[in-house]
Parts: sequence; C-alpha cells; structure tokens
Amino acid sequence: MQHVLARVQRAFSAAFDTDPGSITINTVPGDIRAWDSMGHVTLASSLEQEFAVTFDVDELMEMENVREIVRIVQAKLARFDQAVACR
Amino acid sequence: MKRPAQWNFAASLVERLGHGSELLDAPSGERFAAAELSTAIADFAATFAAAGLRHGDRVLIGCNLRPLSSLAYLGAMFGGLVAVPVNENTLAGSGEALARKTRARAVWTERGIRPDWAARCGLSELEGRPPRAGCDNAAPAACSEHDLAALMATSGSSAAPRLVKVSHGNLIANTEAIIRSQRLGRDERALLILPVSYCFGASVLHTHLWQGGAVVFDSRFTFPDKVLRAIAHYGCTSFAGVPTAYQILLRRSNIRSIPLPSLRRFLQAGGALGVASIRQMRAIVPHAGFFVMYGQTEATARISCLPPERLADKAGSVGVPLDNVMVRIVGADGEDVPAGESGELCVAGKSISAGYLDEPEETRRRFRGGWLATGDIASRDADGYLWITGREGEFLKMCGIRVGFAEIEASVAAVPGVLECAALAVPHAEAGEALALFVVAAAEADDVIAAVRRGLPAKCICDSITRVAQLPRNAHGKLIRSQLPRLARHALPGDEIRARASESSRPAEEISRT
Repeated sequence: MQHVLARVQRAFSAAFDTDPGSITINTVPGDIRAWDSMGHVTLASSLEQEFAVTFDVDELMEMENVREIVRIVQAKLARFDQAVACR
Repeated sequence: MKRPAQWNFAASLVERLGHGSELLDAPSGERFAAAELSTAIADFAATFAAAGLRHGDRVLIGCNLRPLSSLAYLGAMFGGLVAVPVNENTLAGSGEALARKTRARAVWTERGIRPDWAARCGLSELEGRPPRAGCDNAAPAACSEHDLAALMATSGSSAAPRLVKVSHGNLIANTEAIIRSQRLGRDERALLILPVSYCFGASVLHTHLWQGGAVVFDSRFTFPDKVLRAIAHYGCTSFAGVPTAYQILLRRSNIRSIPLPSLRRFLQAGGALGVASIRQMRAIVPHAGFFVMYGQTEATARISCLPPERLADKAGSVGVPLDNVMVRIVGADGEDVPAGESGELCVAGKSISAGYLDEPEETRRRFRGGWLATGDIASRDADGYLWITGREGEFLKMCGIRVGFAEIEASVAAVPGVLECAALAVPHAEAGEALALFVVAAAEADDVIAAVRRGLPAKCICDSITRVAQLPRNAHGKLIRSQLPRLARHALPGDEIRARASESSRPAEEISRT
C-alpha cells in the first residue's frame, strides 16, 4: 500500500508538478487546481505510464480521490500478478 | 425606442424570467427557484450600492460553476456597475493585475477568498449571499445602449488576455440573435460546465434565462458520467462544450450507454471539432441536434451558427452569420474577395463590442469603421456559408507557399484513428519552414503515424510527427501552440517519429516542385 502510494505520488508529480509529500490518501480533485477534466486525462496517462497498465472508462470515473486511485491500481496489479502465477 | 431601464441587460432579463426559470447546482441539488432569482439579483445590486459602488464602477466577480456567482454577475449589471467576471481559481494569481488594469473598486467571491492584494489595491471585499434588502421590487439602474455592462477577458491562446468592453446593447443584440439561431423555446434547461467568466458560458446563461428557462451548473466534468447523469436527472435540453469536452465525452465517458432522452441540442464553439468527432456524437445521440458555432469575445460571444440540418452537406463549415451580424471577407488590399476565395473575416452589427480596455492601438487595428477584423482567415461559399481556413499568423511558409495550420489539422484529423492533432512550424534549412505535427491517436491505432504521413498534402514538408497523450490546452480548452515544442520531450514511449522526412533531405529545387 505504502509502495503503491509512493508511486501514485510520483505520477501526480509528473502530471501536475506537485510536491510528492503534498499528496495524501485523502487528496481530492478540489485540492489541486490543475486536477480538472483535462487534468484527469493527464493524470490517467501518468498513472498508466507509472504502472504500465491501462484504465477503462469506468475506472476513470471511480478515481474520485487518491484512496480510490490506490485501490484501483492495487486491484489491477493483483490481477496481473495472478495471471503471471497461473502461467 | 427603449426606456432607459430596458437597455439594462440584467433588468430586461429579470423581466423575462418565468415559472420555469431557475438556477441549480447539480452536485448539491441547491436551487434558486424563479421567485428567488429576481430577488437575489436585486439584493446583490443593493449590496454593491451599500458598499459605496456607483454607476459605472467596476467589480471583480470570482466565478465558479455554481449559481451564486452568476447571480452576483447579473446583480452588478442590474445595479449599473460593470461586471468583471474572472475564474475564482485565477484570482489569487492574476487578480491583482486585473484589479489594477480595470481600476476595480470591489471584489466579490462566494467563499470569501480574501486575496492578499485586495487591501493593497484598496478594494472592498464582499463575499457570499447578499442580505435581504427588504424591498422586492428594487429598481434597476437606468443604462443607455452603449453603457458598459461587462469587461470580458479574451479566451484566445495568444499572449496575455485583453479585456473587451461589452455594452448592454451588445448583450441584448447577441442574446436575441443566438436564441433565434438555436431555436430556443420557452422551456429550455441548459447543463453548463463552462464558467460565466468565459463568453461562451455567459452566452448560455443569458440565452436560457432570457427565454424563461433554467441553467444547471455542474462542476464535475472531471468525471463526465456524473454530468451526463445530471443532464438526464434534471431534464436538460441543451449541453454546451468546447472541442475538448466533446473529445472527453467520446473517449472518456459512458455516453454510449447513459440515456439522454431530454437533450435537444449540443452546442459547440471555442475552436474546431473534427468532422469525424461530430459524426460520432450524432450517431450516439441522434435525437439531439448538433450546433457548430463560431464566435469571439470581441463580438460579445457568437458570430455564426451551422443549422444542424446542414451538418451533412456543409461539414467543416462554421455556418451562416447570425441574423444581425454582417460579414465581409477582405483581401490584403482591403477589398472584398469573390465567393470561395480566402481573406480575413470581418464582422459588423450591434453585438460587436467597442474594443479593448485601455488598448487604443490594438483597438484601432482590430476595430475599423464599425467592422471587427477577427484575425481569422475564412472563405464564404456561394450559399453564404463560412469556412475558417486559418488564423492570422498561424501558418507555415514552405518554399514561399503559405499553408494554414487549420487546413493541415483538418486534413490530419480526418485520418482514421486520429483523435486530435496540432501543427507547428519549425525552421528548415532549405524550405525556410517545415511542419512538425503532434497527434493524439486511439490506443488501437498502431500504424497511425504512417497513415498521417501518407495523408499529408503534397505541398507539406514534414519535419516530424510525434504521437502524444494529449495536447496542451488552456482552461477554455484552447490549444496553447507555444507549448507544443515541449511535448516533443514527453512523447509516448516508442511512438515518437523523429526521422527526418525524405523530402527534407532533398535539394531545395526538388522540394519547390512538390
């Protein structure tokens, strides 16, 4: 969880030029001026690059705060690990 | 002849409010019903007067995507003040410069932002809801047709914004013409994701209230499905967006599965949306008309509109001028060019503003003898439809031939798999300038770069085509062309094509023949 959060913070820095420490599990779009509709697209690309995953539309809609982002990313990474283990 | 109060735009608007008039905040459900609207507008006027503001004084209004700031904006006009609507998010950063430029006497914000410069500039700070003034029929200020109603910041991507002097007469003329062009009825409800500090957002507020309709504000376009559901929930009939908003709806929302039964029209302005994207929107929501429009802050808001029934046979056109706007297409010699030929688009009429605040030179350059020189290069076909082909200064000069960015971008946007694109001129040893292209493509479009390269006009000397995740845009969705060079460093991994085009290595004589 901590590890994922640190990487999410890095994706925020790449997208919005924020100080990683300023992004907490409780951060919401209203806390970051650039996190608007276009910013959300930038953030999604940044997260996709950081974790080498792609998000579908429903996942983008659920990313209403950093806690949700961490949850969605963790679920994706877990599915990926499972798929690797099954091979 | 109108009575003086009738020239007061906000006062006329209040007179036209009906039972269906209301302002709503979609996320909270907060609602200003019909009776509350006129009271709140008059209360704002009374509050500004009580703070010592007098006829013609300027007041900065911190705008957000909730109803109250729109009421403060209309209240300032109602009281004969000059509203300076500004996005509240930018107040902290650029508010001081704006306060000094406008010599504003007060600043209003919904949540009492209390910018540290307000006291330094001697501004009264007002916040939140006005107290009830205690009289239900407060008289509006008497205004003449030419009295200033608002100072609107230009939304273009070029340099620093200018402030356009918009009069009460400008607002009335443009509002009435827009209503006719969009065939707005008396039962309309707009879903608004654009702030009133942007003339497109303001025009949607004006037209819908003027018709006795409603406006539903929604600040949640970061999660577009919420906005789509609000359209359905509140029974909205109009949705207004800039090209980026439609790109987000097409690529990042569930618009294909969320029903929008009440919607009658999509309104699109603020730049060119590719014909392919418009066709997709039409296919997904076939019962809603798609209105492509063109305008400028200098012309209050709207200049032309493409009737939806002509979308098929005039695809790519920005339509016909509004019925009270006159148009000329002028060549370099200042004379009108024949139909079908390109020149600068110039417009005249009662919605054309008086010019820029305290910028006499630029005002003289753009406003000549009652005509506004838009800076847009356009042609008019035999049927009177306008086609924007470029923007003054926005072109490449390759081997002496000028090619507009808009023309190149329209042709690239038509390549299957391309979602958005932007052109830039880069220096070129032989040709003078060459084309650098930035392309946003669908994830599954693997060979899109090759397809784009094949589809370029033969006269184009292409330096590079770079695939990027998104294009740099300002808060209104306008492309910031000056930031494109930085994108080359952030290209998507593996997709950047920097290989010099074979054309560019050929000798100049050969290039000039292509």
